[in-house]
Amino acid sequence: MNLSQFKSILRQAFLLPVVALLVTAAALYVQIRGANATVDLIQESDARISQATLVAKLMADEESGLRGYETTTDTRFLQPFVDAESHMPTELSRLENVAGADAEQKHYVANLENEYQTWRDAFALQIIATVKAGGLANDLDLNLTGKAEMDRIRQDLDNIIHNAEAHRTVRIARWHRQVHSMLVALLVLALGMGVLIGLFTRSRLHAVSVAYSSSLDVLGRRAEELFQSEQQLRTTLASIADGVISCNAEGRVQMMNPVAQELTGWSQTEAHGRPLEEVFQSVSEDTRNPLENPVAKVKRLNSVVGVTNHTVLLRKDGTELVIADSAAPILDQTGNTIGIVLVLRDITMERKTQEALIAHEKLAVAGRLAATIAHEIHNPLDSVSNLLYLMRNGASEEESKQFMAMAEQELARVTQISRAMLGLYRESKAPVAVDLREMLQEILLLMERRLTDLGVTVSTDLPTAISVAAFPAELRQVFTNLITNAAEAAGSAGVVQVSIEPQAQGVDAVGQKLVSGATVVIADNGAGIPDEVQPHLFQPFFTTKGEQGTGLGLWVSRGIVNKHGGTIKLQSNTSATGHGTVVSVFLATNPTINTGGD
Amino acid sequence: MEQEPHLVLCVDDELVGLQVRKLLLERAGYRVLTATDGAAGLDILAREQIEAVILDYSMPGMHGGEVAAKMRQVKPAVPILLLSAYVGLPPEVTCLVDLYMTKGEGAPVLLTKLSTLLQPVST
Repeated sequence: MNLSQFKSILRQAFLLPVVALLVTAAALYVQIRGANATVDLIQESDARISQATLVAKLMADEESGLRGYETTTDTRFLQPFVDAESHMPTELSRLENVAGADAEQKHYVANLENEYQTWRDAFALQIIATVKAGGLANDLDLNLTGKAEMDRIRQDLDNIIHNAEAHRTVRIARWHRQVHSMLVALLVLALGMGVLIGLFTRSRLHAVSVAYSSSLDVLGRRAEELFQSEQQLRTTLASIADGVISCNAEGRVQMMNPVAQELTGWSQTEAHGRPLEEVFQSVSEDTRNPLENPVAKVKRLNSVVGVTNHTVLLRKDGTELVIADSAAPILDQTGNTIGIVLVLRDITMERKTQEALIAHEKLAVAGRLAATIAHEIHNPLDSVSNLLYLMRNGASEEESKQFMAMAEQELARVTQISRAMLGLYRESKAPVAVDLREMLQEILLLMERRLTDLGVTVSTDLPTAISVAAFPAELRQVFTNLITNAAEAAGSAGVVQVSIEPQAQGVDAVGQKLVSGATVVIADNGAGIPDEVQPHLFQPFFTTKGEQGTGLGLWVSRGIVNKHGGTIKLQSNTSATGHGTVVSVFLATNPTINTGGD
Repeated sequence: MEQEPHLVLCVDDELVGLQVRKLLLERAGYRVLTATDGAAGLDILAREQIEAVILDYSMPGMHGGEVAAKMRQVKPAVPILLLSAYVGLPPEVTCLVDLYMTKGEGAPVLLTKLSTLLQPVST
């Protein structure tokens, strides 16, 4: 049941009793009107009876006044007659005009008027005239006639009264019936309406109660679902390995999962309700400057703030942790920020692992180089020791000269190699000027044997000396790595091309500002790298060389190039014509060195 | 005593080293043939009555292990001495040859080892 259905039920429950009461009132009104009409008729009958009684009294006054005058001849006795006679026409006309007369009544009244007229004119006035004239009025016949007239009058009056009384009785009986039927109707209507309202209300209330109980049911289920989902989220939060802190819109801490509590050193109860910047204090790893509070940053940008590295978390007990953190706003349905979630991870171990991996790769490179060097040195040493043996065991002077010249030549080779080697692991704290051409030539010299072993031809295009500020040992590692990769990819009878393209300061075609520097390009004509492999090339432990590779070479190389503020790009082509891979490393003349690396 | 000198094949891509080794062996009374890569060495082995091979491990194209394997297919009886500038050689290579030594151990060691290889033939 929706809200409008519920409202319509409420409206019905209100309107139905009102309508029922109105119907009852209308029925009662009709009944009462009927009863009132009957009461009017009863009052008419009463009026007729009292008017007839008044006329009868006047008749009696006239008759008795006439008798007294007849007997005494004294005019004083005639006074009642005169008074009654003067009123008689008015009262008779009133009697005639009493409303509601039927034909019988009218007939009686007309008779009465005629008979009174006859009695007054033919008898009473005659008697009065006779007495006034001094005559005798005791004539029996005349008096009998008068009496007979008066008897008829009395009879008419009686008739009128009886008739009216009979009507009155009938009307009263009718009124009683009406009142009775009214009571019955009232009772029936009240009962009917009561039952109707009762039944209707019951059915409506039933519908409402069904809807209410189903609503309760739904609410119960919702509550259960809500509880389960909250429980799920709570368990998830408690179980994940990252620290999670949630804040309300004001940036006050609401919830911290166990990892977050451990990382910050604040317990949930201590931290609850405190501003985040109190619980989560961070500074930049490089500058030690306090970092912007993630909550403030999310509010300012109103979007997810991505993972930041180089953040040092100051824990409650004063110790420090290197962390990665990110923050995101919690939005309501209308898109308003109602809270902020902060996720943090301890990357101290990750950092150490990374450093260990870099050191490992360095050692692996050193190991490979050591083997190459041993080989390079052993060959001339073998020749020299053989030559010495020959000289000791009796060689002619001419031969000895020749042998010594050969030995010197071989020893010069050893010196050259060891000199190239010296530059290899000379660590420096600050970047120094490095001549890229010289460095590449040295590396190629050291690798010469290995390249010949692989059957690879190297062509170089190193036009001028180009100096960049760099850490030489690290750059050697990068180029040794890239040239080894290229040579291995090119394989037997392959070609590796090493070139330097200087770049002057300026602006390129699309208006991008260019800094001065150089791009070292190492290209091979190997099979090329399939597209699906390319995205993985710079990931640690990814190798296409099986047991032979550590899978760290390109990853470390990119780290070193980034540290030098440079870029490393790889393009590869696997088509039948023009297959091969080109790696370009750009290094600026005066780069900004990122000691943090990545 | 008028024994025919043993014919030895030396394979090495290091020209100076090869030249010096040839001189050394000739002074020690061997006849020496040289080759600067594996393919040339295999050619000579097939053609000549070679009694022993002194083989360098690290060479362009075919390394010493591969050359030794092919030589074993052609003439399994010819003893092979493997020379290497590397200190460690993989076991699947060392098991192919009769003896192996690291370059720079000196001429006497080379001559001793070579004569041990040829001992059964001379008796």
